[in-house]
Amino acid sequence: MKTGSVLSIIRNQLKPAVVIFFLLTLITGIFYPLFITGIAQVVFPVQANGNLIVHNGNVVGSALIGQPFTSPGYFWGRPSATSPVPYNAGLSSGSNLGPSNPALASAVKARVEALHAADPANTFPIPVDLVTTSGSGLDPDISVAAAYYQVHRITRERNLNGEDVKALVTSHIEPRQFGIFGEPRVNVLKLNLALDDMSTTHIVPSSMVKADPVPSDGSGLRIPDWIVLILFIGVFIVTVVPLGRFMVKVLKGEPHLFSQVTGPLEHQLHTWSQVKADDEMDWKTFAIAMMVFSLVGIVFLFVLQMAQPVLPLNPAGAGSPSWDLALNTAVSFVSNTNWQAYAGETGVSYLTQMVGLCVQNFTSAATGLAVLVGLAYGLSRRSASTIGNFWVLLIRSVMILLPLSIIIALILVSQGTVQTLGGPVTVSLLDPVKDASGTLVTTQTIPLGPAASQIAIKQLGVNGGGFFNTNSAHPFENPTPFANFIEIIAILLIPAALCYSFGRLVGAGRKGVSILIAMTIIFLPLLGIAIWAELGSNPSFAGMGIDQTTTVLQPGGNMEGKEVRFGIMPSALFSVVTTAASCGAVNSMHDSFTPLGGFVQLLMMQFGEVIYGGIGSGLYGMIVFLIIAMFIAGLMVGRTPEYLGKKIEPQEMAIATIIILIPIFLILISTAVAVLVDPGKTAILNPGPHGFSEILYAFTSASQNNGSAFAGLSANSMFYNLTTAVCMFVGRFGIAILTLALAGSLVVKKIVPAGEGTLSDHRPLFIIWLVFVVVIIGVLSFLPALALGPLVEQLMLGGGP
Amino acid sequence: MPETSGIRNTNTLLPAIYQRAVIDAIMKLDPRFMIRNPVMFVVEAGSALTTLLWFQALTGNGEAPAGFIGAISAWLWFTVLFANFAEALAEGRGKAQAESLRKMRQDTMAKKLYLGYEIVKGREPEPSDYLEASSATLHKTDLFYVKAGDTIPVDGEVVEGIASVNESAITGESAPVIRESGGDRSAVTGGTAIISDWLIIQVSANAGEGFLDHMISLVEGAKRQKTPNEIALNILLIGLTAVFLVVCATLWAFSVYSVQAAGSGIPVTITVLVALLVCLAPTTIGGLLSAIGIAGMDRLIRRNVITTSGRAIEAAGDVDVLLLDKTGTITLGNRQAVDLIPVDGTDIMLLVETAQLASLADETPEGRSIVVLAKEKYGLRGRSVGATESGTGMQFIPFSSQTRMSGVDCGDVNIRKGAADVMFKYIRENGNPVSEALRKEVETISLAGGTPLVVTKNGKALGVVHLKDIVKGGIKDRFAQLRKMGIKTVMITGDNRLTAATIAAEAGVDDFLAEATPESKLNLIREYQTGGRMVAMTGDGTNDAPALAQADVAVAMNTGTQPAREAANMIDLDSNPTKLIEIVEIGKQLLMTRGALTTFSIANDLAKYFVIIPAAFITTYPALSTLNILGLHNAILSAVIFNALIIVALIPLALRGVTYRPMTAEVALRNNIAIYGVGGLIAPFIGIKIIDIVLVLMGVM
Repeated sequence: MKTGSVLSIIRNQLKPAVVIFFLLTLITGIFYPLFITGIAQVVFPVQANGNLIVHNGNVVGSALIGQPFTSPGYFWGRPSATSPVPYNAGLSSGSNLGPSNPALASAVKARVEALHAADPANTFPIPVDLVTTSGSGLDPDISVAAAYYQVHRITRERNLNGEDVKALVTSHIEPRQFGIFGEPRVNVLKLNLALDDMSTTHIVPSSMVKADPVPSDGSGLRIPDWIVLILFIGVFIVTVVPLGRFMVKVLKGEPHLFSQVTGPLEHQLHTWSQVKADDEMDWKTFAIAMMVFSLVGIVFLFVLQMAQPVLPLNPAGAGSPSWDLALNTAVSFVSNTNWQAYAGETGVSYLTQMVGLCVQNFTSAATGLAVLVGLAYGLSRRSASTIGNFWVLLIRSVMILLPLSIIIALILVSQGTVQTLGGPVTVSLLDPVKDASGTLVTTQTIPLGPAASQIAIKQLGVNGGGFFNTNSAHPFENPTPFANFIEIIAILLIPAALCYSFGRLVGAGRKGVSILIAMTIIFLPLLGIAIWAELGSNPSFAGMGIDQTTTVLQPGGNMEGKEVRFGIMPSALFSVVTTAASCGAVNSMHDSFTPLGGFVQLLMMQFGEVIYGGIGSGLYGMIVFLIIAMFIAGLMVGRTPEYLGKKIEPQEMAIATIIILIPIFLILISTAVAVLVDPGKTAILNPGPHGFSEILYAFTSASQNNGSAFAGLSANSMFYNLTTAVCMFVGRFGIAILTLALAGSLVVKKIVPAGEGTLSDHRPLFIIWLVFVVVIIGVLSFLPALALGPLVEQLMLGGGP
Repeated sequence: MPETSGIRNTNTLLPAIYQRAVIDAIMKLDPRFMIRNPVMFVVEAGSALTTLLWFQALTGNGEAPAGFIGAISAWLWFTVLFANFAEALAEGRGKAQAESLRKMRQDTMAKKLYLGYEIVKGREPEPSDYLEASSATLHKTDLFYVKAGDTIPVDGEVVEGIASVNESAITGESAPVIRESGGDRSAVTGGTAIISDWLIIQVSANAGEGFLDHMISLVEGAKRQKTPNEIALNILLIGLTAVFLVVCATLWAFSVYSVQAAGSGIPVTITVLVALLVCLAPTTIGGLLSAIGIAGMDRLIRRNVITTSGRAIEAAGDVDVLLLDKTGTITLGNRQAVDLIPVDGTDIMLLVETAQLASLADETPEGRSIVVLAKEKYGLRGRSVGATESGTGMQFIPFSSQTRMSGVDCGDVNIRKGAADVMFKYIRENGNPVSEALRKEVETISLAGGTPLVVTKNGKALGVVHLKDIVKGGIKDRFAQLRKMGIKTVMITGDNRLTAATIAAEAGVDDFLAEATPESKLNLIREYQTGGRMVAMTGDGTNDAPALAQADVAVAMNTGTQPAREAANMIDLDSNPTKLIEIVEIGKQLLMTRGALTTFSIANDLAKYFVIIPAAFITTYPALSTLNILGLHNAILSAVIFNALIIVALIPLALRGVTYRPMTAEVALRNNIAIYGVGGLIAPFIGIKIIDIVLVLMGVM
């Protein structure tokens, strides 16, 4: 690769950038979603089109999308926070009310009173899921306990035999999927349809009656929860090495499992873009290539959004967003943040989802991976000057993501994630409902789209940008407890295995595995805290006659913003995984988590998104921490510190230190500005310290390229669109460029052979030391802010299981 | 290592050093000086800011009670002063040494030889040959003349003459040394005195650039440049300070918001934020960093090693290969007789007696060792030369390089001993055969790495003396320790491979270079360096210079030649080859002290958060009092006082260095993390609580 002035390098890299961008757009934005759609429509036609329920020849709704029920004669579903009517499928939404918000307590109190008013004689404690809103606002299910609780009212209202109604409920219990995943639950729409049938025919089909519906498996963290947790860890123990090996092969251009398919594709891409596999780049050229490619992506995505009203594949008729929102979204997806200030159902067309957002899900993740490989080359090459070719590594990284995405997408479709180019479906409501203005609403518009293809890469690429507004809480995005498990696994699959790949690239797999262990040492205790906190009851509901305990019949715990099909543990697990891994997908509303649960989410991001982290970016962030840990440890053993035989000298320390400083500065300074100015403060939903947490969370998420949110914050404003865009851009590319500079600084060094005096970087003691350094830097930087946010909120609220 | 006399003798000056350090600590408050240490500069700026706030409070419009702000402000100033004091103290020791050195450097008169003076071997210059001039007028390549009683004005190289020179001013060694032209003893140092005879010397360094001047500037620390590792650490510390600066600045905004959100309390005061900043900033290591560096060099000087740069000390800590000369370092200087083996049916006692007779006049250490062996192993008392048998006309034949044998002629009895090849020839010349048994014994000893001496009587072989290199006691353990530290030892010797291998095995070195030449040494060093290793070596001869220049850490003996001393980056005034090992240890100790105090400093911060945050926000969020786990009454002031006092408490550690024992990296890390990491987490909790109790007892609330 010729070197020269920055301008001449930009000129040289512009052509491959544009050619490769459009070729990858073609592959990942058109061929890939169409391929998945084709298979889905043939193999899983019901699931791919929304699991529509055909009753007496009519489409009456979707088995996955709840409907509002307000008449006392129907089983009521979970309260919904969508507007203007509950269960508005056209715009999914959670309440985002914080646990300490008095508005939450009064809303819950009103629901309790409504239930009591409809059935004054029923004095049993009310299951908590029946008085708290779901994450999506479309939760189709209620807990078994919530269904049984309503039997008394239904019996009275419909004049039925109580035992018959009870038997009907029992026959509609959906047990845990495969016996372990999720909660036993009852689909409210299906139950009410059957109830109507029973009321008209007065026939109770005996086959519907099941004796003992749910095996008794205790309360709190139950046996199936433990099994799922063990399975979760087990999957990584099994996949890290083979997947890690596979990735090394692809990245090095060696033959692998899919090379019959990806090989020719890769070759063609190289030919068309005139990139040669052995054309090595120094760090500056590498960084410029990355920036040119990313800027091409930002410009394209911006233009695509602004032009979407006049482009095809826009069945919901999405208009142009404001320029600041379009810019925010463009930066967000190119920077692998996937912060979403728009709503997927109404804000973007299918074309934008596919050709714009889906493509960036692939390429932004691949960019991170390419940078990591550049760093690995910087560490492993001896007295060299080049760190690989960005284009080659980018294309190969996409070739890793593509086959895995196809597998995950098809599993998700099989579970009910929609995958169609067809437009929304409108159905009549079984129990019409009045909206806020008193108008009677009789229909529900169910959105569809090519979701599965995008959700697969959203999880796998640790992107997190949902197809629908409520992300993986939406039943069409995350339809079943098993789908939920797969989505959780998909987030960590590559970041975990990449540790092993990195180890192989720099010499020994165990060096990577030790980093993985360090990450896990931080991950597990925080996961434990989050699960423990969410299992706990909300003290502000005390005295309302609500049952918040976790039992065989109900998930209990902090159910505000969570879906019944997942329950507590899988929701807490998802939230910790998604914040640990810089993903940002959510299956429950983080804003409504307990303060301690929110604290864990914040801390995971504030540790620098290095506990697994994003594809490539998490690991290269961790390597920077490792270099700092090694520097101090090296001093303590009396040698000029070295990592992998490369001496750590002033230049490396300067780069590493700045990399650590960037997100800390971004988060603290932008939060400070936002809490002082009106445009910052007025966006807050929840009062008190929780409101502070919302702003802190927003800038933490943006600066660390996570993308999840305390979504109560009204982030679609000029102020937040532009400030978070700056945080996302600098947080991503500032660090990526410096990481490449670090690689460039390391690659020219000699490699000091390891000996007795060398501090080995994979021994238990050093792993613990690394953990200490990561934790202490994170805690020292953010403890004051956390103390004024979630910590003080927790102390004020109290509570626990 | 004796630590007496010479440049090291500063103990008597201790009170003066402390006095001076106190004054210097105050002088160093000059911001132009403080900016060189950004961490402490931030503390000084904070101190100034709180002082202004204190003045404001005195007028009655303060953000907090004047007493509180004043107390915080005072202790912040103390923090800066304590750090300056540590540095001044470290420098003070050097300055005292520099003073005594400078006394010798006073402008002396030199007998400058006129240009074109012709050197004639053995001829002392006449007064008409030279001009009495100030030493300042001497330039490189000028010639000057010194005689008994003169002080050598500047560094130079002897070109003619031989003289005994008193170098005690530099080495602390009172015995005079010989300096003569040519060879390895030709370098002289300015400031040393001629005791007898005279010399003609060529100037090797301009006045003010000599060895002595260099030493002065080094020990004073005036020209001390930050070493790469120190710079890297400084970058990290500046980074941490910047983080805490942002943490504290943004905390004000968060506090303002929190007061609005909670509807109670007042925003955190600037005084408290400054106090928090100073407590969090890595002041412990930041304040002691330069003291550690200066003290490291000082420790080296105390061991009589002068280094040309701090960089070399750090490099010493990194060394992974030590090239050690066999003779003098690994073995005692001389070989010793360990066995006597008779051949061809000779009676053992006859051999012993003959060997003893042959060695009586042999004053070499080898010869004496034969006499000792005869006495100790075979009970044959050494007869003094010329006593009982002198009358019988005993005539000693001394060793000469021509004959390469020595012996004694006693009447018609001719006794000889010498190297095997020479003796074989001698035996044959006397008409006797060289027996198979003799050859075999000679070969056996050679194979074992020893040196065989053949003893003959009247041209007939009696037996063989087994001479052997004696490895220094304890050296094997020392090498084992080095191996544990990850340092490879390589023995350099002119011996053949066989001999070298045997000694190498006995001494426990990892490798050896036999039949070493200057070129092979240089190549060996390059080979190791290409492999990424850091090499240290010692040398004294001119032919060592290329290798010394190539090595990462090169220690020249003070007795060595000028080229050797110039090529090296350290000079050992004691000329002790084993010093290299101590130098490596000092280098490691220097880095470890930095690492340990950095860890301690960072670990301290966690406790300080628990102390300060509840106190700072209690009016806004009373619930935060749960975090006040220590139940403190004067939390913020106690934390600031602790932060200042810990610097003072750690000054001795900074100057002395952390205890160093040879151990593996893993063990060293474990120990240091346990002491400075875990200790650093716990110590402030205890310290701050104690200070708080004391404050309460003193009535400060």
